[in-house]
Amino acid sequence: MAQSEKRYDVIVIGAGHNGLVSAATLAKLGKRVCVLEKENEIGGMARNYEIADGLQAPRIAHLLYNYNPVVARELGLAEKIDKAPISTIALSDDGRHIEIANGALRYADGAEHPDAAAYAEIRRKIEKFGKLLAPLALRSPPDLSEGLSLAGAGEAAAIAKLGLELKMFGKKDMREFLRIVLSNIYDLALDEMPDGEVAGLLAADAVWGAWAGPRSPGTVFLLMYRYAYGADPSLPKRGAGAVVDAIVDVARSRGVEIRTGAAVSRLNIKNDAVTGVVLEGGSEISAKVVMSSLGAFPSMKMAGPQHYDVETVRRLRNVRAKGMTAKVNLVLRQEPKIGGVSLAQIAGRFVIAPSAKYVERAFSKAKYGEFPGAPVIEFVMPMVSDAAQRGRYLLSAIVQYIPYHLKGGWDDAARDRLTALTIDTLSQYIPELRENIAHVDALSPAFIERETGAPGGHWHHGELSTDQLLTVRPVNGMSRYAFGVRGYYLCGAGAHPGGGVSGAAGRNSALQLLKDGVLS
Amino acid sequence: MKLFKSAAKPVAVARELLPTPFFDKLDAVSLVKNWHEWNGYLVADVVEAVGKEYFAIRNQSTLFDISPMCKYRVKGPDALRVMNRLVIRDVAKIGVGRVGYAMWCDEEGMVIDDGTVFRYGDDEFMLLCQEHMFTWLHDCAWGFDVSITDETHNFCGLALQGPTSFSVLKEAGLESVADMKPFDLREIEPGLWISRTGYTGDLGYELFTDSQYAHQLWDRLWGAGHKLWGLIPIGFDALEIARLEVGFLAPGLDFQPVHVVSRINRGRTPFELGFGRLVNFEKGHFNGRRALLKHRDEGSRYHLVRLDIEGKEPAKDAFIYSGRDKVVGHVTSAVWSPTAKRNIALAELEAPYGGKVKNGLWAEIYVYKEGAWQRRQKKAVVVETPFFTNARSRKTPPDLF
Ligand SMILES: Cc1cc2nc3c(=O)[nH]c(=O)nc-3n(C[C@H](O)[C@H](O)[C@H](O)COP(=O)(O)OP(=O)(O)OC[C@H]3O[C@@H](n4cnc5c(N)ncnc54)[C@H](O)[C@@H]3O)c2cc1C
Repeated sequence: MAQSEKRYDVIVIGAGHNGLVSAATLAKLGKRVCVLEKENEIGGMARNYEIADGLQAPRIAHLLYNYNPVVARELGLAEKIDKAPISTIALSDDGRHIEIANGALRYADGAEHPDAAAYAEIRRKIEKFGKLLAPLALRSPPDLSEGLSLAGAGEAAAIAKLGLELKMFGKKDMREFLRIVLSNIYDLALDEMPDGEVAGLLAADAVWGAWAGPRSPGTVFLLMYRYAYGADPSLPKRGAGAVVDAIVDVARSRGVEIRTGAAVSRLNIKNDAVTGVVLEGGSEISAKVVMSSLGAFPSMKMAGPQHYDVETVRRLRNVRAKGMTAKVNLVLRQEPKIGGVSLAQIAGRFVIAPSAKYVERAFSKAKYGEFPGAPVIEFVMPMVSDAAQRGRYLLSAIVQYIPYHLKGGWDDAARDRLTALTIDTLSQYIPELRENIAHVDALSPAFIERETGAPGGHWHHGELSTDQLLTVRPVNGMSRYAFGVRGYYLCGAGAHPGGGVSGAAGRNSALQLLKDGVLS
Repeated sequence: MKLFKSAAKPVAVARELLPTPFFDKLDAVSLVKNWHEWNGYLVADVVEAVGKEYFAIRNQSTLFDISPMCKYRVKGPDALRVMNRLVIRDVAKIGVGRVGYAMWCDEEGMVIDDGTVFRYGDDEFMLLCQEHMFTWLHDCAWGFDVSITDETHNFCGLALQGPTSFSVLKEAGLESVADMKPFDLREIEPGLWISRTGYTGDLGYELFTDSQYAHQLWDRLWGAGHKLWGLIPIGFDALEIARLEVGFLAPGLDFQPVHVVSRINRGRTPFELGFGRLVNFEKGHFNGRRALLKHRDEGSRYHLVRLDIEGKEPAKDAFIYSGRDKVVGHVTSAVWSPTAKRNIALAELEAPYGGKVKNGLWAEIYVYKEGAWQRRQKKAVVVETPFFTNARSRKTPPDLF
């Protein structure tokens, strides 16, 4: 194929939401940006798809948990995205479900719940500490390699500021922060309440996407990450895909070019600096900077291990990215009924995690590569909350503790077991579900990896754990987005601060490369 | 979980130091039974007397058992790429049938070890070095098409060094080494490899063969050289004098292999060890390249230098002063050179000493005389060239005696 004539300032690999945010951020400053997406559809893990004739469904991500308001403001997305916090129903085996609406917890039937105060206190704490940590998600992790040189002074100041904010907390809060930040959600919850649906909900919210159980250290941190902008998730009208659409609009209006069906096979590198990319099929596109929204390991392979130091390759090979989360989308024939849930409440988020022990037990199976007896599930039924699709019935379920490393591997039979397990579990709460199903789409972690390139099909493209956070995300020495070869940058969930439909990684990376001067 | 899959009995790991394939031969002629450990093997410090052994290196010929040296074979379509990824120099410039000195660094540009690269073929190399590199080589080769085998324990070696060494080979029926230039490598007979290399700075060769032929090789050389050409076995102590005269580095003494040290800032760059000229920034990425560019631009923190020190007392462990009272470094190796008749040392100095500032250096030497310590300040002069060189070591064909 002929060489492309046009030379871009920046090529972004992958049109997931992070790649798009990077592109839009750079295009605002007049940079010529081209986004290359291997799929025919834009949006990566946050895209919608047509699940059945004319019916749109969120393919993978369906709710916004840590959607970043700063990123949204900078991009001018706020007005374009119609979203509202939704209530959560923690389902109970005995039909006496619990509802959290506008921050208050009670029984779904309106009665007061004995653990409401304890829940409110934990939630307040986690939100407060999450808010304190939030600014860290919006800057490159401090560079500690330079010690306390003048160049490093800005970084030191950033850390000092966090320290200062911690101090302003007051002694009591400070002590509490340090006590819990690395601890586990199981102990934190059960110190304050008996095990049950409330503890189960906190446990579940801490572990979505993680290769961790509620008893694993670091799960309180994960909950802070998720609750940084408020504990209640929000449901974007027309799905997470609507968020992607809004970013695409902004990017295109700034001149960003987005090419679909354009899989990058490798980078072109000359004199230790990127010069562009080679597409599958052989055509080449040149640019001064290449940003990759893929995980750290596949991004390294795309450049070639020969361009990385031995230690770096070793670290990248060992990034833990074992997906634990599957997606099951169901098309239903008619509106489902859940006992003990009112017509208004059915528009909410449902969580099946009747106790923290239940969650831990599910993890115990999955960590050895087995299906859990009963998985932890979060589902929404967007058709009832979204007027545009009224009359169509969709159930979108995130199924937690479905291991990427399944014993025996992922084949059709395994996928059928995933479907059956999900339907069995849901059926305990939605009695007539089975007869009501018109179509099933079950996406295993292995499938998600194949489709999106996310290592292990992992939610964050790499475990978000204390050994893979901040200055050591994705690995030690590479936390500031620059990825070895000059002009090569990471910009996806695998980089700091991690995944979720937040856009922080994409935005930070764009700002960092401008600061590094690689475009001048 | 089953640890041993095969029905064969697991081989027990030896608890004692191992004899090298030449141990019996050495033991039979050793007068002093002075052994020490090298890489798990028993090797001689001294066989008979240091002085006799040292002078044999410079006047006759000597055998030194180099079998315990780590030996790794790197073979396959990507072998050259892997070697170039490993070391700082351009391995493409080492032709087939040639040997090259090399250093390799970690990601921070700190020297992991130095050694020699033997090029057996287009796609086949052997790395000889002091430190264990098996894991490192595998990490280095990840993503490349090569096989790496540890030949340390089945490939034995003898260093034949000294002015009569060519005569010994000729007598042993290996006259065809005559046209081998320094750093040439050749399979002189099936299964017997010979290279014109060594650690003494004198005329010399290194011979390698499968360990099962060790005794045969020894007997052949011994028979040809012992009576006629004054061939004797030597230990480490004599070799140590010879290598210092040429200025070769000893890992663990003159620099600290960075994988072995646990303290920070103990690692040194090739620039700091005086091997900046080996670093080839043009050959593409290699380990530590980005860090080394920075080190090159920011300048060395230390300088390893050769010192000529006044007096006769070896400046072992001496502090080096600038003027009378500022400590600027220390001696890493020191010896009285019998051939140069000079008191020589290698010393590590903090920059700019040994680099921009070379004058006004003093060694503080501690001497123990019959129950009392004396402290002596001796003038130390930085020397740019080796203390010992001679034409015979490079002459091709070498002189016969
Ligand atoms: C089951 C599951 C459910 C989730 N649910 C939620 C949720 O409800 N809410 C939430 O906030 N987060 C959720 N997440 C996490 C969230 O979806 C991701 O963290 C986020 O979407 C990642 O965005 P990204 O832009 O960094 O990467 P991605 O969205 O993975 O984008 C990477 C893009 O690169 C493309 N690509 C890959 N290889 C190539 C190539 N060689 N050339 C060109 N393009 C290539 C891919 O096709 C993809 O479009 C969920 C994750 C999982 C696994």
